[in-house]
Amino acid sequence: MTETLLDIAMMHSDDLIAQAKAGDQNAQGKVVQLWYKRIYNFSYKFFQDHDMAMEVSQKTFISMCRNLASLQENARFKSWLYKIAVNYCREEARKKKSSRSLSFDVVWNKEAEDSPQWESSSHRFDNPERQFQQKELAEALQDAMLELNDEQREVVIMKEYEGLKFREIADALNISENTVKSRMYYGLDALKKILERKQINKETIGYGL
Amino acid sequence: MAYKASENDLMAYLYGELEGKEKEAMEQYLLENAEARLELEKLKQLRTLMGQVRDKEVIVPTLFVGDHRRSYFYHAPYFKTIMSIAASLLVLMLVGKLFGLQVGYVDSEFKLTFGKSEESRPLEKISSPATITQAEIQQMINASLQENNEAMQASWSETQKKLDVSITRNLALNSEKIDKLVRQSSDASQEQIKEFVAGMQAENVKLVKNYFQLSSTEQKQYIEGLLVDFAKYLQQQRNDDLQVVQTQLKSLEQNTDVFKQETEQILSTIITSVGNKSSLGAKN
Repeated sequence: MTETLLDIAMMHSDDLIAQAKAGDQNAQGKVVQLWYKRIYNFSYKFFQDHDMAMEVSQKTFISMCRNLASLQENARFKSWLYKIAVNYCREEARKKKSSRSLSFDVVWNKEAEDSPQWESSSHRFDNPERQFQQKELAEALQDAMLELNDEQREVVIMKEYEGLKFREIADALNISENTVKSRMYYGLDALKKILERKQINKETIGYGL
Repeated sequence: MAYKASENDLMAYLYGELEGKEKEAMEQYLLENAEARLELEKLKQLRTLMGQVRDKEVIVPTLFVGDHRRSYFYHAPYFKTIMSIAASLLVLMLVGKLFGLQVGYVDSEFKLTFGKSEESRPLEKISSPATITQAEIQQMINASLQENNEAMQASWSETQKKLDVSITRNLALNSEKIDKLVRQSSDASQEQIKEFVAGMQAENVKLVKNYFQLSSTEQKQYIEGLLVDFAKYLQQQRNDDLQVVQTQLKSLEQNTDVFKQETEQILSTIITSVGNKSSLGAKN
Protein backbone atom coordinates (compact mmCIF):
# COMPACT_ATOMS: atom_id res chain seq x y z
CA MET A 1 0.00 0.00 0.00
CA THR A 2 1.41 3.32 -0.99
CA GLU A 3 1.26 5.81 1.79
CA THR A 4 0.03 9.27 0.95
CA LEU A 5 0.83 12.39 2.86
CA LEU A 6 -2.55 12.10 4.51
CA ASP A 7 -1.82 8.59 5.73
CA ILE A 8 1.46 9.73 7.24
CA ALA A 9 -0.33 12.61 8.92
CA MET A 10 -2.89 10.19 10.33
CA MET A 11 -0.20 7.92 11.72
CA HIS A 12 1.43 10.75 13.60
CA SER A 13 -1.66 12.43 14.87
CA ASP A 14 -1.36 11.52 18.54
CA ASP A 15 -0.62 15.09 19.59
CA LEU A 16 -3.51 16.37 17.52
CA ILE A 17 -5.90 13.90 19.13
CA ALA A 18 -4.65 14.87 22.57
CA GLN A 19 -5.40 18.52 21.77
CA ALA A 20 -8.79 17.71 20.33
CA LYS A 21 -9.59 15.67 23.42
CA ALA A 22 -8.69 18.66 25.58
CA GLY A 23 -11.39 20.64 23.78
CA ASP A 24 -9.41 22.51 21.15
CA GLN A 25 -11.95 23.11 18.40
CA ASN A 26 -9.27 23.83 15.86
CA ALA A 27 -7.63 20.48 16.55
CA GLN A 28 -11.02 18.77 16.30
CA GLY A 29 -11.54 20.34 12.89
CA LYS A 30 -8.19 19.03 11.76
CA VAL A 31 -9.01 15.53 12.99
CA VAL A 32 -12.24 15.63 11.00
CA GLN A 33 -10.34 16.78 7.92
CA LEU A 34 -7.82 13.93 8.33
CA TRP A 35 -10.31 11.16 8.89
CA TYR A 36 -13.40 12.22 6.97
CA LYS A 37 -12.32 10.62 3.69
CA ARG A 38 -11.60 7.29 5.38
CA ILE A 39 -14.90 7.09 7.20
CA TYR A 40 -16.78 8.23 4.11
CA ASN A 41 -15.12 5.55 1.96
CA PHE A 42 -15.74 2.88 4.58
CA SER A 43 -19.45 3.66 4.74
CA TYR A 44 -19.65 4.17 0.98
CA LYS A 45 -18.33 0.65 0.43
CA PHE A 46 -20.76 -0.62 3.04
CA PHE A 47 -23.85 0.93 1.39
CA GLN A 48 -22.81 1.74 -2.17
CA ASP A 49 -24.73 4.97 -1.67
CA HIS A 50 -23.29 8.46 -1.49
CA ASP A 51 -26.07 10.01 0.58
CA MET A 52 -26.07 7.31 3.19
CA ALA A 53 -22.28 7.40 3.37
CA MET A 54 -22.41 11.18 3.93
CA GLU A 55 -25.08 10.73 6.58
CA VAL A 56 -23.08 8.11 8.46
CA SER A 57 -19.85 10.12 8.17
CA GLN A 58 -21.41 13.29 9.51
CA LYS A 59 -23.09 11.49 12.38
CA THR A 60 -19.83 9.71 13.17
CA PHE A 61 -17.83 12.91 13.39
CA ILE A 62 -20.44 14.81 15.36
CA SER A 63 -20.50 11.91 17.80
CA MET A 64 -16.69 11.86 17.80
CA CYS A 65 -16.43 15.56 18.73
CA ARG A 66 -18.95 15.17 21.53
CA ASN A 67 -17.48 12.02 23.04
CA LEU A 68 -13.79 12.44 22.41
CA ALA A 69 -13.25 13.32 26.06
CA SER A 70 -14.38 9.83 27.05
CA LEU A 71 -11.67 8.15 24.92
CA GLN A 72 -9.40 6.27 27.34
CA GLU A 73 -6.26 5.66 25.27
CA ASN A 74 -5.26 7.91 22.42
CA ALA A 75 -3.58 4.95 20.69
CA ARG A 76 -6.98 3.29 20.29
CA PHE A 77 -8.49 6.30 18.54
CA LYS A 78 -8.64 4.54 15.16
CA SER A 79 -10.62 1.51 16.35
CA TRP A 80 -12.76 3.76 18.52
CA LEU A 81 -13.66 5.93 15.51
CA TYR A 82 -14.48 2.89 13.36
CA LYS A 83 -16.59 1.50 16.17
CA ILE A 84 -18.75 4.63 16.02
CA ALA A 85 -18.93 4.42 12.22
CA VAL A 86 -19.89 0.73 12.25
CA ASN A 87 -22.66 1.37 14.75
CA TYR A 88 -24.12 4.16 12.59
CA CYS A 89 -23.80 1.94 9.50
CA ARG A 90 -25.76 -0.81 11.24
CA GLU A 91 -28.39 1.71 12.38
CA GLU A 92 -28.82 3.07 8.85
CA ALA A 93 -28.97 -0.46 7.44
CA ARG A 94 -31.80 -1.27 9.87
CA LYS A 95 -33.67 1.88 8.79
CA LYS A 96 -33.13 1.01 5.15
CA LYS A 97 -34.55 -2.46 5.67
CA SER A 98 -37.60 -1.17 7.50
CA SER A 99 -38.41 1.39 4.81
CA ARG A 100 -38.35 -0.27 1.44
CA SER A 101 -38.86 2.93 -0.51
CA LEU A 102 -36.54 3.71 -3.40
CA SER A 103 -34.54 6.89 -3.15
CA PHE A 104 -35.01 9.38 -5.96
CA ASP A 105 -31.27 9.44 -6.47
CA VAL A 106 -31.24 5.71 -7.07
CA VAL A 107 -33.76 6.12 -9.88
CA TRP A 108 -32.13 9.11 -11.45
CA ASN A 109 -28.54 8.47 -10.46
CA LYS A 110 -27.67 12.14 -10.65
CA GLU A 111 -24.43 11.47 -8.92
CA ALA A 112 -23.16 9.33 -11.79
CA GLU A 113 -24.04 12.04 -14.28
CA ASP A 114 -22.29 15.03 -12.88
CA SER A 115 -19.95 13.73 -10.30
CA PRO A 116 -16.88 15.92 -9.87
CA GLN A 117 -14.99 12.68 -9.74
CA TRP A 118 -14.45 12.85 -13.52
CA GLU A 119 -12.51 16.04 -13.26
CA SER A 120 -10.68 15.42 -10.05
CA SER A 121 -9.79 11.83 -10.78
CA SER A 122 -6.09 11.17 -10.53
CA HIS A 123 -6.43 8.95 -13.61
CA ARG A 124 -7.70 11.78 -15.73
CA PHE A 125 -4.89 11.40 -18.24
CA ASP A 126 -5.23 7.64 -18.51
CA ASN A 127 -6.38 5.92 -21.60
CA PRO A 128 -10.17 6.41 -21.63
CA GLU A 129 -10.84 2.78 -22.44
CA ARG A 130 -8.72 1.63 -19.58
CA GLN A 131 -10.39 4.14 -17.32
CA PHE A 132 -13.78 2.75 -18.32
CA GLN A 133 -12.65 -0.81 -17.73
CA GLN A 134 -11.26 0.09 -14.36
CA LYS A 135 -14.54 1.70 -13.39
CA GLU A 136 -16.51 -1.27 -14.63
CA LEU A 137 -14.37 -3.69 -12.64
CA ALA A 138 -14.62 -1.53 -9.52
CA GLU A 139 -18.41 -1.51 -9.83
CA ALA A 140 -18.54 -5.27 -10.36
CA LEU A 141 -16.35 -5.79 -7.28
CA GLN A 142 -18.45 -3.48 -5.16
CA ASP A 143 -21.64 -5.21 -6.28
CA ALA A 144 -20.06 -8.51 -5.30
CA MET A 145 -19.20 -7.04 -1.91
CA LEU A 146 -22.80 -6.03 -1.34
CA GLU A 147 -23.76 -9.67 -1.64
CA LEU A 148 -21.77 -10.53 1.49
CA ASN A 149 -23.59 -10.45 4.79
CA ASP A 150 -23.09 -7.35 6.93
CA GLU A 151 -20.70 -9.00 9.40
CA GLN A 152 -18.35 -10.24 6.68
CA ARG A 153 -18.59 -7.01 4.71
CA GLU A 154 -17.60 -4.90 7.73
CA VAL A 155 -14.51 -7.00 8.33
CA VAL A 156 -13.48 -7.21 4.65
CA ILE A 157 -13.74 -3.46 4.13
CA MET A 158 -11.94 -2.63 7.37
CA LYS A 159 -9.12 -5.03 6.58
CA GLU A 160 -8.71 -4.73 2.84
CA TYR A 161 -9.50 -1.08 2.26
CA GLU A 162 -9.07 0.62 5.60
CA GLY A 163 -5.94 -1.30 6.53
CA LEU A 164 -6.84 -1.92 10.16
CA LYS A 165 -5.00 -4.63 11.98
CA PHE A 166 -6.98 -7.69 13.07
CA ARG A 167 -6.56 -6.57 16.67
CA GLU A 168 -7.99 -3.15 15.86
CA ILE A 169 -11.00 -4.65 14.05
CA ALA A 170 -11.62 -6.94 17.01
CA ASP A 171 -11.49 -3.88 19.24
CA ALA A 172 -13.90 -1.90 17.05
CA LEU A 173 -16.43 -4.72 16.77
CA ASN A 174 -16.09 -5.99 20.35
CA ILE A 175 -15.31 -9.51 19.19
CA SER A 176 -12.24 -11.76 19.46
CA GLU A 177 -9.38 -11.55 17.03
CA ASN A 178 -9.98 -15.14 15.95
CA THR A 179 -13.58 -14.37 15.10
CA VAL A 180 -12.38 -11.45 12.97
CA LYS A 181 -9.93 -13.68 11.10
CA SER A 182 -12.57 -16.33 10.62
CA ARG A 183 -15.06 -13.80 9.25
CA MET A 184 -12.32 -12.46 6.98
CA TYR A 185 -11.54 -15.91 5.65
CA TYR A 186 -15.18 -16.77 4.93
CA GLY A 187 -15.77 -13.30 3.57
CA LEU A 188 -12.95 -13.63 1.07
CA ASP A 189 -14.03 -17.15 0.22
CA ALA A 190 -17.58 -16.00 -0.46
CA LEU A 191 -16.32 -13.09 -2.52
CA LYS A 192 -14.15 -15.42 -4.57
CA LYS A 193 -17.16 -17.61 -5.34
CA ILE A 194 -19.32 -14.64 -6.25
CA LEU A 195 -16.67 -13.33 -8.64
CA GLU A 196 -16.26 -16.78 -10.18
CA ARG A 197 -20.00 -16.98 -10.67
CA LYS A 198 -19.93 -13.59 -12.35
CA GLN A 199 -16.87 -14.72 -14.30
CA ILE A 200 -14.80 -11.79 -13.19
CA ASN A 201 -11.06 -12.46 -13.13
CA LYS A 202 -8.01 -10.87 -14.60
CA GLU A 203 -8.49 -12.67 -17.95
CA THR A 204 -12.05 -11.50 -18.48
CA ILE A 205 -11.18 -7.97 -17.54
CA GLY A 206 -8.85 -8.05 -20.48
CA TYR A 207 -5.78 -6.25 -19.32
CA GLY A 208 -2.78 -7.13 -17.29
CA LEU A 209 -2.84 -6.24 -13.66
CA MET B 1 4.98 -32.00 9.61
CA ALA B 2 2.47 -32.00 12.34
CA TYR B 3 1.73 -28.37 11.68
CA LYS B 4 -1.59 -27.76 9.97
CA ALA B 5 -2.20 -24.15 9.08
CA SER B 6 -5.56 -22.90 10.29
CA GLU B 7 -7.75 -20.47 8.34
CA ASN B 8 -7.00 -17.80 10.88
CA ASP B 9 -3.26 -18.21 10.50
CA LEU B 10 -3.61 -18.11 6.75
CA MET B 11 -5.41 -14.79 7.03
CA ALA B 12 -2.76 -13.39 9.34
CA TYR B 13 -0.04 -14.52 6.97
CA LEU B 14 -1.87 -13.07 3.96
CA TYR B 15 -1.99 -9.67 5.60
CA GLY B 16 1.53 -9.88 6.99
CA GLU B 17 0.50 -10.06 10.62
CA LEU B 18 2.27 -13.32 11.38
CA GLU B 19 5.63 -13.03 13.05
CA GLY B 20 8.50 -15.06 14.39
CA LYS B 21 8.09 -18.79 14.79
CA GLU B 22 4.55 -18.85 13.54
CA LYS B 23 5.57 -17.17 10.30
CA GLU B 24 8.38 -19.62 9.79
CA ALA B 25 6.10 -22.57 10.46
CA MET B 26 3.60 -21.22 7.97
CA GLU B 27 6.25 -20.73 5.28
CA GLN B 28 7.52 -24.24 5.86
CA TYR B 29 4.00 -25.58 5.62
CA LEU B 30 3.40 -23.74 2.36
CA LEU B 31 6.59 -25.11 0.87
CA GLU B 32 5.47 -28.63 1.58
CA ASN B 33 1.81 -28.21 0.79
CA ALA B 34 1.00 -27.37 -2.81
CA GLU B 35 -2.74 -27.11 -2.11
CA ALA B 36 -2.25 -24.47 0.53
CA ARG B 37 0.11 -22.66 -1.79
CA LEU B 38 -2.52 -22.58 -4.48
CA GLU B 39 -5.14 -21.29 -2.09
CA LEU B 40 -2.83 -18.54 -0.92
CA GLU B 41 -2.10 -17.64 -4.53
CA LYS B 42 -5.79 -17.35 -5.31
CA LEU B 43 -6.32 -15.18 -2.28
CA LYS B 44 -3.50 -12.92 -3.38
CA GLN B 45 -5.05 -12.65 -6.82
CA LEU B 46 -8.35 -11.75 -5.24
CA ARG B 47 -6.64 -9.04 -3.23
CA THR B 48 -5.04 -7.49 -6.30
CA LEU B 49 -8.43 -7.58 -8.00
CA MET B 50 -10.03 -5.91 -5.00
CA GLY B 51 -7.30 -3.30 -5.07
CA GLN B 52 -8.91 -1.95 -8.23
CA VAL B 53 -11.61 -0.33 -6.17
CA ARG B 54 -10.22 3.08 -5.40
CA ASP B 55 -11.22 5.56 -2.77
CA LYS B 56 -13.82 8.10 -3.71
CA GLU B 57 -12.87 11.70 -3.27
CA VAL B 58 -15.13 13.61 -0.96
CA ILE B 59 -15.45 17.22 0.06
CA VAL B 60 -15.47 17.46 3.81
CA PRO B 61 -18.60 19.33 4.90
CA THR B 62 -18.54 21.82 7.69
CA LEU B 63 -19.77 20.24 10.85
CA PHE B 64 -21.42 22.33 13.50
CA VAL B 65 -20.85 20.46 16.64
CA GLY B 66 -21.43 23.30 19.02
CA ASP B 67 -19.77 23.68 22.38
CA HIS B 68 -21.30 20.64 24.02
CA ARG B 69 -18.17 18.55 24.30
CA ARG B 70 -17.10 20.16 27.57
CA SER B 71 -19.51 18.59 29.98
CA TYR B 72 -19.64 20.69 33.10
CA PHE B 73 -21.07 19.18 36.23
CA TYR B 74 -24.16 21.37 35.93
CA HIS B 75 -24.92 19.90 32.53
CA ALA B 76 -25.53 16.51 34.06
CA PRO B 77 -29.24 15.60 34.08
CA TYR B 78 -29.27 14.53 37.74
CA PHE B 79 -27.88 17.91 38.72
CA LYS B 80 -30.82 19.65 37.04
CA THR B 81 -33.31 17.38 38.80
CA ILE B 82 -31.70 17.91 42.20
CA MET B 83 -31.51 21.66 41.68
CA SER B 84 -35.15 21.88 40.65
CA ILE B 85 -36.25 19.90 43.71
CA ALA B 86 -34.09 22.13 45.94
CA ALA B 87 -35.50 25.27 44.33
CA SER B 88 -39.11 24.15 44.79
CA LEU B 89 -38.37 23.26 48.44
CA LEU B 90 -36.88 26.72 48.94
CA VAL B 91 -39.97 28.35 47.45
CA LEU B 92 -42.17 26.22 49.70
CA MET B 93 -40.14 27.23 52.76
CA LEU B 94 -40.31 30.90 51.80
CA VAL B 95 -44.04 30.78 51.30
CA GLY B 96 -44.38 28.94 54.62
CA LYS B 97 -42.39 31.60 56.39
CA LEU B 98 -44.40 34.44 54.87
CA PHE B 99 -47.80 33.00 55.67
CA GLY B 100 -46.80 31.55 59.05
CA LEU B 101 -47.33 28.00 57.89
CA GLN B 102 -47.14 25.45 60.69
CA VAL B 103 -47.12 21.75 60.25
CA GLY B 104 -47.49 19.50 63.22
CA TYR B 105 -48.45 16.00 64.26
CA VAL B 106 -49.76 15.83 67.80
CA ASP B 107 -51.95 13.08 69.35
CA SER B 108 -52.66 11.35 66.01
CA GLU B 109 -53.75 14.67 64.59
CA PHE B 110 -52.05 16.13 61.53
CA LYS B 111 -52.20 19.94 61.51
CA LEU B 112 -51.48 22.33 58.67
CA THR B 113 -52.10 25.86 59.87
CA PHE B 114 -51.54 29.32 58.51
CA GLY B 115 -50.94 32.04 61.10
CA LYS B 116 -50.94 31.49 64.90
CA SER B 117 -52.29 28.17 66.01
CA GLU B 118 -55.06 28.26 68.63
CA GLU B 119 -54.44 25.36 70.92
CA SER B 120 -57.28 22.86 71.01
CA ARG B 121 -60.06 25.32 71.95
CA PRO B 122 -62.83 23.36 70.32
CA LEU B 123 -61.90 20.33 72.43
CA GLU B 124 -62.77 22.12 75.75
CA LYS B 125 -66.06 23.33 74.40
CA ILE B 126 -67.03 19.86 73.47
CA SER B 127 -66.07 18.41 76.88
CA SER B 128 -68.19 20.80 79.06
CA PRO B 129 -71.72 19.73 78.12
CA ALA B 130 -70.83 16.15 78.92
CA THR B 131 -71.42 16.88 82.68
CA ILE B 132 -75.17 17.59 82.29
CA THR B 133 -77.35 14.52 82.69
CA GLN B 134 -80.13 13.46 80.45
CA ALA B 135 -82.82 14.21 83.01
CA GLU B 136 -81.58 17.75 83.40
CA ILE B 137 -81.72 18.28 79.72
CA GLN B 138 -85.23 16.90 79.69
CA GLN B 139 -86.19 19.26 82.48
CA MET B 140 -84.69 22.22 80.70
CA ILE B 141 -86.48 21.35 77.55
CA ASN B 142 -89.78 20.93 79.41
CA ALA B 143 -89.39 24.26 81.20
CA SER B 144 -88.65 26.11 78.02
CA LEU B 145 -91.54 24.41 76.28
CA GLN B 146 -93.91 25.40 79.10
CA GLU B 147 -92.76 28.99 79.01
CA ASN B 148 -93.20 29.03 75.33
CA ASN B 149 -96.69 27.55 75.60
CA GLU B 150 -97.80 30.10 78.20
CA ALA B 151 -96.54 33.00 76.20
CA MET B 152 -98.28 31.61 73.16
CA GLN B 153 -101.54 31.17 75.07
CA ALA B 154 -101.46 34.74 76.40
CA SER B 155 -100.80 36.33 73.09
CA TRP B 156 -103.41 34.12 71.44
CA SER B 157 -106.23 35.08 73.86
CA GLU B 158 -105.34 38.73 73.61
CA THR B 159 -105.54 38.70 69.86
CA GLN B 160 -108.84 36.78 70.13
CA LYS B 161 -110.35 39.51 72.28
CA LYS B 162 -109.16 42.24 70.01
CA LEU B 163 -110.61 40.44 67.06
CA ASP B 164 -114.02 39.99 68.74
CA VAL B 165 -114.28 43.68 69.66
CA SER B 166 -113.38 44.86 66.24
CA ILE B 167 -115.83 42.44 64.61
CA THR B 168 -118.80 43.55 66.74
CA ARG B 169 -118.02 47.20 66.14
CA ASN B 170 -117.81 46.64 62.45
CA LEU B 171 -121.08 44.72 62.43
CA ALA B 172 -122.99 47.49 64.25
CA LEU B 173 -121.65 50.17 61.97
CA ASN B 174 -122.46 48.22 58.87
CA SER B 175 -126.08 47.37 59.87
CA GLU B 176 -126.88 51.01 60.68
CA LYS B 177 -125.53 52.10 57.36
CA ILE B 178 -127.52 49.48 55.49
CA ASP B 179 -130.82 50.34 57.31
CA LYS B 180 -130.43 53.99 56.47
CA LEU B 181 -129.78 53.24 52.87
CA VAL B 182 -132.77 50.90 52.59
CA ARG B 183 -135.13 53.43 54.20
CA GLN B 184 -133.97 56.22 51.96
CA SER B 185 -134.42 54.13 48.93
CA SER B 186 -137.98 52.98 49.89
CA ASP B 187 -139.26 56.54 50.57
CA ALA B 188 -137.92 57.81 47.36
CA SER B 189 -139.48 55.07 45.34
CA GLN B 190 -143.12 55.55 46.60
CA GLU B 191 -143.17 59.24 45.73
CA GLN B 192 -141.55 58.62 42.39
CA ILE B 193 -144.07 55.93 41.47
CA LYS B 194 -147.02 58.17 42.24
CA GLU B 195 -145.58 60.95 40.11
CA PHE B 196 -144.70 58.55 37.39
CA VAL B 197 -148.19 56.97 37.30
CA ALA B 198 -149.93 60.36 37.21
CA GLY B 199 -147.72 61.46 34.37
CA MET B 200 -148.46 58.23 32.59
CA GLN B 201 -152.24 58.56 32.97
CA ALA B 202 -152.27 62.15 31.69
CA GLU B 203 -150.18 61.17 28.74
CA ASN B 204 -152.41 58.19 28.00
CA VAL B 205 -155.59 60.26 28.11
CA LYS B 206 -154.11 62.76 25.73
CA LEU B 207 -152.96 60.06 23.40
CA VAL B 208 -156.30 58.26 23.34
CA LYS B 209 -158.22 61.46 22.73
CA ASN B 210 -156.02 62.41 19.86
CA TYR B 211 -156.23 58.96 18.48
CA PHE B 212 -160.06 58.80 18.59
CA GLN B 213 -160.42 62.22 17.05
CA LEU B 214 -158.08 61.30 14.29
CA SER B 215 -159.63 57.94 13.66
CA SER B 216 -163.29 59.18 13.70
CA THR B 217 -162.67 61.79 11.02
CA GLU B 218 -160.72 59.25 8.91
CA GLN B 219 -163.50 56.67 9.35
CA LYS B 220 -166.14 59.16 8.29
CA GLN B 221 -164.24 60.03 5.14
CA TYR B 222 -163.56 56.43 4.43
CA ILE B 223 -167.17 55.33 4.88
CA GLU B 224 -168.46 58.17 2.77
CA GLY B 225 -166.09 57.23 0.01
CA LEU B 226 -167.13 53.67 0.40
CA LEU B 227 -170.82 54.47 0.08
CA VAL B 228 -170.27 56.56 -3.02
CA ASP B 229 -168.24 53.81 -4.60
CA PHE B 230 -170.85 51.25 -3.74
CA ALA B 231 -173.67 53.39 -5.31
CA LYS B 232 -171.61 53.76 -8.46
CA TYR B 233 -171.03 50.07 -8.58
CA LEU B 234 -174.72 49.27 -8.22
CA GLN B 235 -175.62 51.71 -11.03
CA GLN B 236 -173.06 50.14 -13.29
CA GLN B 237 -174.34 46.70 -12.45
CA ARG B 238 -177.97 47.61 -13.33
CA ASN B 239 -176.86 49.12 -16.63
CA ASP B 240 -174.93 46.00 -17.50
CA ASP B 241 -177.91 43.80 -16.59
CA LEU B 242 -180.25 45.87 -18.74
CA GLN B 243 -177.96 45.58 -21.72
CA VAL B 244 -177.75 41.82 -21.25
CA VAL B 245 -181.55 41.51 -21.09
CA GLN B 246 -182.01 43.63 -24.24
CA THR B 247 -179.50 41.52 -26.21
CA GLN B 248 -181.21 38.37 -24.97
CA LEU B 249 -184.50 39.62 -26.06
CA LYS B 250 -183.15 40.55 -29.48
CA SER B 251 -181.62 37.12 -30.00
CA LEU B 252 -184.92 35.50 -28.88
CA GLU B 253 -186.81 37.60 -31.43
CA GLN B 254 -184.40 36.59 -34.15
CA ASN B 255 -184.73 32.96 -33.20
CA THR B 256 -188.55 33.06 -33.36
CA ASP B 257 -188.32 34.69 -36.81
CA VAL B 258 -186.01 31.94 -38.06
CA PHE B 259 -188.23 29.31 -36.57
CA LYS B 260 -191.39 30.85 -38.25
CA GLN B 261 -189.68 30.84 -41.62
CA GLU B 262 -188.54 27.24 -41.20
CA THR B 263 -192.03 26.09 -40.26
CA GLU B 264 -193.50 27.97 -43.24
CA GLN B 265 -191.01 26.27 -45.51
CA ILE B 266 -191.75 22.88 -44.06
CA LEU B 267 -195.48 23.46 -44.40
CA SER B 268 -195.13 24.52 -48.03
CA THR B 269 -193.04 21.45 -48.86
CA ILE B 270 -195.60 19.21 -47.18
CA ILE B 271 -198.39 20.82 -49.08
CA THR B 272 -196.66 20.50 -52.39
CA SER B 273 -195.78 16.87 -51.82
CA VAL B 274 -199.31 15.97 -50.81
CA GLY B 275 -200.79 17.69 -53.99
CA ASN B 276 -198.39 15.81 -56.22
CA LYS B 277 -199.31 12.46 -54.66
CA SER B 278 -203.02 13.02 -55.14
CA SER B 279 -202.57 14.04 -58.78
CA LEU B 280 -200.47 11.02 -59.38
CA GLY B 281 -203.02 8.81 -57.70
CA ALA B 282 -205.72 10.29 -59.81
CA LYS B 283 -203.94 9.67 -63.00
CA ASN B 284 -203.44 6.11 -61.93
